[in-house]
Amino acid sequence: MKKIFLIVTFALVAKTSTAQFNTQLVVIPNPPGALADWDNKTLTYLVSGGIGLTAQVIVKATIKTVDGEVVATKNLAKAPIIIAGSTNLILYVNDVMPLPIMIFNGKYKSSMDKSGKLPAGSYQLCVQLVNPTDYRIMSEEKCRIFNLASYQLPIPVMPASETILDLEKAQSVITFRWTPVTPNTGMMLTYRVTVFEILPGQTAMQALRSNQPLLAKDIVGTTQYIWQPQLGMTQCCTGDPDFDLRMKKDTTRKTINPDLEPDVLVRADTDVDAYAFIWTIQTFDSQRRPFGDGNVNGDGISEPNVFFVDRRPAAMRRSGPPARSTNLTGKKN
Amino acid sequence: MRKIKKPSIVCLLFLGCVFTAHAQKDSAKSNFSISGTMGISYEYYGLSRKPTGWTGFTPRKPWNQLRFVFSPNMQFGKNFSLPFNFNFAMKPTNYAGPYAGINKQSFGQFITNPMNSFGLNPKYKWAELQLGTQYLNYSNLSTGDIGVFGAGVDLRPGTYVLKFFTGLSQQGINYFNGPPTVNGAYKRKNWMMSIGKVKEGKYEAAVNFVKAKDDSNSVTTPPVSVKPQEGFTMSFAGKAFFNKGWYVNAEVAQSLYTKNLQNPEDSSKPSFKPFIEGHTSTVKDYAAEGAVGKKGQNFDIGAKLKYIGAGFQTPGYPFMLPDRVDYMLNTRFNAVKDKNGGYKMNVVASVGQRINNVSNTTLKAKQFIGTLNWFTQFNEHWNLNVSFNNFGFETPSGINPYGIKNVSNDFGLNPSVTWGNDKVIHLMSLNYNYSKYTERDVITAIITSNNTHTAMLTYVPTFLMKSISPDFSLLYFYNSVPGFKLTLITFSAGVSMQAAKKKMNLRAQLQYHYSKTGSFKNNNNIIATLSDDWKISDRITWNIYIGTNHFKYGNEIVPNNASYLESNVRTGFLYRFGK
Repeated sequence: MKKIFLIVTFALVAKTSTAQFNTQLVVIPNPPGALADWDNKTLTYLVSGGIGLTAQVIVKATIKTVDGEVVATKNLAKAPIIIAGSTNLILYVNDVMPLPIMIFNGKYKSSMDKSGKLPAGSYQLCVQLVNPTDYRIMSEEKCRIFNLASYQLPIPVMPASETILDLEKAQSVITFRWTPVTPNTGMMLTYRVTVFEILPGQTAMQALRSNQPLLAKDIVGTTQYIWQPQLGMTQCCTGDPDFDLRMKKDTTRKTINPDLEPDVLVRADTDVDAYAFIWTIQTFDSQRRPFGDGNVNGDGISEPNVFFVDRRPAAMRRSGPPARSTNLTGKKN
Repeated sequence: MRKIKKPSIVCLLFLGCVFTAHAQKDSAKSNFSISGTMGISYEYYGLSRKPTGWTGFTPRKPWNQLRFVFSPNMQFGKNFSLPFNFNFAMKPTNYAGPYAGINKQSFGQFITNPMNSFGLNPKYKWAELQLGTQYLNYSNLSTGDIGVFGAGVDLRPGTYVLKFFTGLSQQGINYFNGPPTVNGAYKRKNWMMSIGKVKEGKYEAAVNFVKAKDDSNSVTTPPVSVKPQEGFTMSFAGKAFFNKGWYVNAEVAQSLYTKNLQNPEDSSKPSFKPFIEGHTSTVKDYAAEGAVGKKGQNFDIGAKLKYIGAGFQTPGYPFMLPDRVDYMLNTRFNAVKDKNGGYKMNVVASVGQRINNVSNTTLKAKQFIGTLNWFTQFNEHWNLNVSFNNFGFETPSGINPYGIKNVSNDFGLNPSVTWGNDKVIHLMSLNYNYSKYTERDVITAIITSNNTHTAMLTYVPTFLMKSISPDFSLLYFYNSVPGFKLTLITFSAGVSMQAAKKKMNLRAQLQYHYSKTGSFKNNNNIIATLSDDWKISDRITWNIYIGTNHFKYGNEIVPNNASYLESNVRTGFLYRFGK
């Protein structure tokens, strides 16, 4: 009886020590640059064993450059123990390479501490199962190459920040231009141009976060949009008694600089002498999800620009910028 | 209990300061005065589309909206003032941000919704109590863009400045799949503090601290796209002003930001105890900006530099683009004196560059920015304005054969002439603009050139003996890219006049837009507006605006000949306090 028990034990130990699990590793080729943003769709690790095979294992994971330089290793002493068996086991990013127990080396650690991202480039993730006690190999090592690029959201270019447009032109057409997402993602991105009116008494950011947009237009494949606003924008200030007085006194229009003619052409000092707008680009990926690599708001919205449409009569514009264009940006200190 | 304590501490601090300030010699008279405004406005928006069921044009405003403004400033004697800023609307219209999609707000959401403000800022001498909604701008790298509902103080004894504010910038909002989708948000608490010294016209220096933290337990169905976050930023900002208009200012800042508070704490990650503990997703980085220059009556020059690190993130500027360097040189000067001692020429110019992805040597994207505006008054009748803008953007090729390269050049020419007599002054202005925008394909290197010509003629006769003022303008716009052409012609005529003993300002305007895309049939658009500002009494003004916009497509969209009619009516009463 004792002999039989020893033989069975020996056979089991022998079986376990040579046990090999079949594994499959899938990593998307262009995952988010911020490793904390990796989700279940980014990384999948499939484990399956032979019939009757059950063992405790831990997942060893190493990130390397394509040249083989080790970027990060997993602290196996803190790795959770997993029971793998004959049924398929699907593991995800937090099982395979949980960031709290990944040990980054040298410049890669400082990059992760600064930005949560690795320097842009090509890397490989190598994964295999090992025994939790002596780290003996329990599966073949599987490696997958992935590229990290630190994507930056578009920058609104035109109208530039705090630009003042003439009413006559702006009521017909306003052209928007922005920079594309960089570097090139290789996928078809959708840029949504959004324009919000800043109502009197609102700050620019208040308008962006609370108003219904006057324009929300999806643009694919280019970085320009020609908008015909159709807003019924109207002139102001013609009833301003100071302005009428000036028109009677002075039959010529002089310079655009208020410093030069302080007594002749003084601007209509009201907050209705210009329409104010804030515009931005919201970027969506090919699956219509907000695009933003490390974007803390998670909405793919770029840093916005404010622009103004001068409502004063053409002659009055020479007296300097509308009062609203200088008041709106002067927030309380 | 904690909720009650914080405002109490702030109130006690304020009251202490009030009594201290009061203890100082006060010779002020106890007069009362009031200024500011209050008002109510209503806006109606209507949209009808043809054929029935076509949804190609979406509404741009809420159907009905009621807005209230109550912002009097009460002044009690020389030293005490009580300004209110209550500004709110009845219907939420949030599109971007955490409140988007909410139809029915709770009271807490209504109070903290960014579309509403409820602020009260009593001030006694140098002590100001800040209550309710406040948009506080401490500095360019700490906080300035976020409205917070809470309580705080702004104390300025002598040359010293002490500011503190705490409150909520957003309520907890549950995610809802919709429709309409509610993105949801975690409740976010904010704290901000600034200690500094200011001498008007000489120098300013301040150390700023800003912290925000999400409450992970504030929602039952958490947002999908964001995790609870925490951020802490500290900065040192200084300004100095010298003789002859020279100035210099600078700010350096450090931020620690945790993108996911649900990750475990991690002692190997950056932290700044007791203000912020490091988590797995905590990052730490720096930002700096500086400017130097000279301001004068006839000559300005200045240089600005801004660096934002790849991981720099401050709760006070949530949309700030990280990982960049901007530098810019600006100038403005007047030249060529005329016989009256003024100047005939005014030039404003700037040149600079923005570099994105600074932390990645292989992915740096460079954007060149150059602008010039040159105005010349030739004589009493003629003047000319010339403008030129250039924006160039280029990235390395990376994994593609070619890098992105977009270049925008805009050239504008605007001559104007005025002539007249004692009865009428005529103003005629021609504005021509040529814009060329090129985009390079990253695979084929084929450059697509997008050219736009815009010409506009404006004529404004001003009748000096009559209360009627007409104006006319004609605009021609032509945009072409390979395979696409857009032509737009706009004619606009307006007339302004005064009535009711000059207490009523009426304006009517009619615009016709003709637009044609490629070989498609043209679209037609007519916009008519009527507005009236009626000063009913010295204190009450009644505003009315009625506008209608009819757009009829040709055959560029399906269904052909689709059309829409927008109507918009705004009316409101504004009451001015005081004399």
